[in-house]
Amino acid sequence: MFNTRNFLLATSLSVAVGAAHAADPIKIGVPVGLSGANSVVAPSVVQSAELAVEQINAKGGVLGRKLTLEIADDASGAQGAQRAYDSLIFQKKVDAIISMETSAARNAGLPIVNRGKVPMIYTSLYEGRSCSPWMYANSWVPDQQVAPVVDHFMSKENAKTFFLIGSDYAFGRGMLEFTRKYIESKGGTVAGEEYLPMDGSDWTAIISKMRSVSPDALITSTAGGAPNVTLTKQLRAAGIKIPYGNLSVDEGTAKSMGADAEGIYIAASYLTSLDNPENKKFLAAAKAKFGNKLETPNDLSVPEYEAIYAYAAAVEKAGSTDSKKVVDALATVAVEGPRGTIVMNKQHHASLTMYLGRVKADGSVEIISTFPDVDPGEQCPRLAN
Amino acid sequence: MGVLTLDILTTGSILFAVAAGLMIILGVMKLINFAHGAFLTTGGYVAYLTGLAGISPWLSIVLAGLLGVAAGLVIERFIVRPLYHRPLDAILATWGLGIVIGQLITIAFGRGVQFAPSPLSGTTGVLGVDYSAYRLSVAIIAVLLACALSALLSYTRFGLNARAVIMNETLARGLGIDSGKVRATTFGMGAGLACAAGALITPMLSVDPNMGLPWLVNSFMLVMISGVSFPSLLVASLVLGGAQVLVSTYVSPILGGMTIVVLAALVLRVNPKGFSRA
Repeated sequence: MFNTRNFLLATSLSVAVGAAHAADPIKIGVPVGLSGANSVVAPSVVQSAELAVEQINAKGGVLGRKLTLEIADDASGAQGAQRAYDSLIFQKKVDAIISMETSAARNAGLPIVNRGKVPMIYTSLYEGRSCSPWMYANSWVPDQQVAPVVDHFMSKENAKTFFLIGSDYAFGRGMLEFTRKYIESKGGTVAGEEYLPMDGSDWTAIISKMRSVSPDALITSTAGGAPNVTLTKQLRAAGIKIPYGNLSVDEGTAKSMGADAEGIYIAASYLTSLDNPENKKFLAAAKAKFGNKLETPNDLSVPEYEAIYAYAAAVEKAGSTDSKKVVDALATVAVEGPRGTIVMNKQHHASLTMYLGRVKADGSVEIISTFPDVDPGEQCPRLAN
Repeated sequence: MGVLTLDILTTGSILFAVAAGLMIILGVMKLINFAHGAFLTTGGYVAYLTGLAGISPWLSIVLAGLLGVAAGLVIERFIVRPLYHRPLDAILATWGLGIVIGQLITIAFGRGVQFAPSPLSGTTGVLGVDYSAYRLSVAIIAVLLACALSALLSYTRFGLNARAVIMNETLARGLGIDSGKVRATTFGMGAGLACAAGALITPMLSVDPNMGLPWLVNSFMLVMISGVSFPSLLVASLVLGGAQVLVSTYVSPILGGMTIVVLAALVLRVNPKGFSRA
């Protein structure tokens, strides 16, 4: 008798708690570079996140709870990221972090994530091998991006010697170091590898050096925005016509460079011209929500959209927002998004379908070849899956 | 070898064109115009806007120059003139002005990178190599500019007055030279030169709200070691710009970026008068 009453009491209590719980929204923290180097792409990332949250909430949310976003500016750098992560995790008490940031910002935020023990999905392409039990990455790493460009140059353009140019920072050097090793492993040679500081704009000496060794092909990996554009313009002004692969240009920047961008090869996991129903649905929904304020979706903003769906699916599967359970579930859930079906089951990274594109005269990107399910390789061997 | 020579000549001339506006203001007004970088950026945006409007890119250089002169005259009247007797505050005021201009540009155009069309595209054959046509024409413009500015100082009434103010302002005023007018004209010219230089270099680069800052640092160093003389500024630009190209080519472009600053400091240490003959 006593036991039964206790049981009833406990049950009614837990229902009451459950009901109160259901009213609380699930908070997702989005640290992003609204100012600084990433400010060019940040608005498109925020729009992606808003679209995903709106769509999920329209279908009733997750476990009966709505999703809300907490956007924080990380100023594209380490100091800003520390402040942003600190306030998101310890003051606003977000349930998860889903961020598109510079490598500097990610490296600064990761220790705070480890301390606060919240699930994190990093959605920017990056130089690879950043590992934490709490972090997943759903965009590409060098192992996935470099091969399509180099393979194409070697087989179709008959290139044997390569010249590499980059900006002097973690991403620039990381990408080109991988590229050099990859070229050498395929029997090609690297005739030169040159860097300019991130704020440098005069590539004259490097271009002259490249002309003196006359390589068969050129691969660049600069910081986004200004360095990328100045390098391309000066290459064109110097009459450089060899095959030119750019590891850090996005569709939007290529478009704004106009005629100078024509002929540049880019490798990406997302291009607006992808011909699949999910992408068409995504583009139509984005257009409907933002109208003419829509920032062109790109390889940095679409993974953010998919990551929010991945988190929602993981919470659904785990049955709660408990960090440990969600982190375990993240490795297993599949998201059907504009980039195809993505599962982050490769040491917290994901196999991706990569596209090799070539910029046309009108700035649009023509897809030359498709590389299905490119494996990210050994990224975090100490994380089981 | 031909390419290296051309790299040195063009780099030096670009540096000269960019630093000329800073020098003329320093020479006549004894004022280091820290808004110089912001003026360069403004010129860059003029080139961007004229590009959007479909106006000839050559014309954008002239337009930027005119806008710079007008803005310079207004700024001199309302910001610099009240501070003539407080030289240090005047320098701080130009620094602040640079920040304000930078922020206004950010509000108007955003932080993103913009581009301006180039008046000349492609290459032309010189010294047996194909070289960027626009870079070469910038070099020619810079040399013409150096001649014109030197002639202005040496052979015109304004130049005579300006030289008198440079040598001894009190005495010049005593002789009936309106030094206030000379100062105003000079500031307008300096701002105009800076804006025109911004429009001149933007087609080779890109423009964003912080574009002028690295140029300001290099210009400042060059002006410091060349005294108040356009020929010596040209020599300093060629020597230090040449050193930058050589270091970038044979050692590392990362060290090349610091060459001008380091060499200028060394020159001042060894010979405080730098390249000036005075």
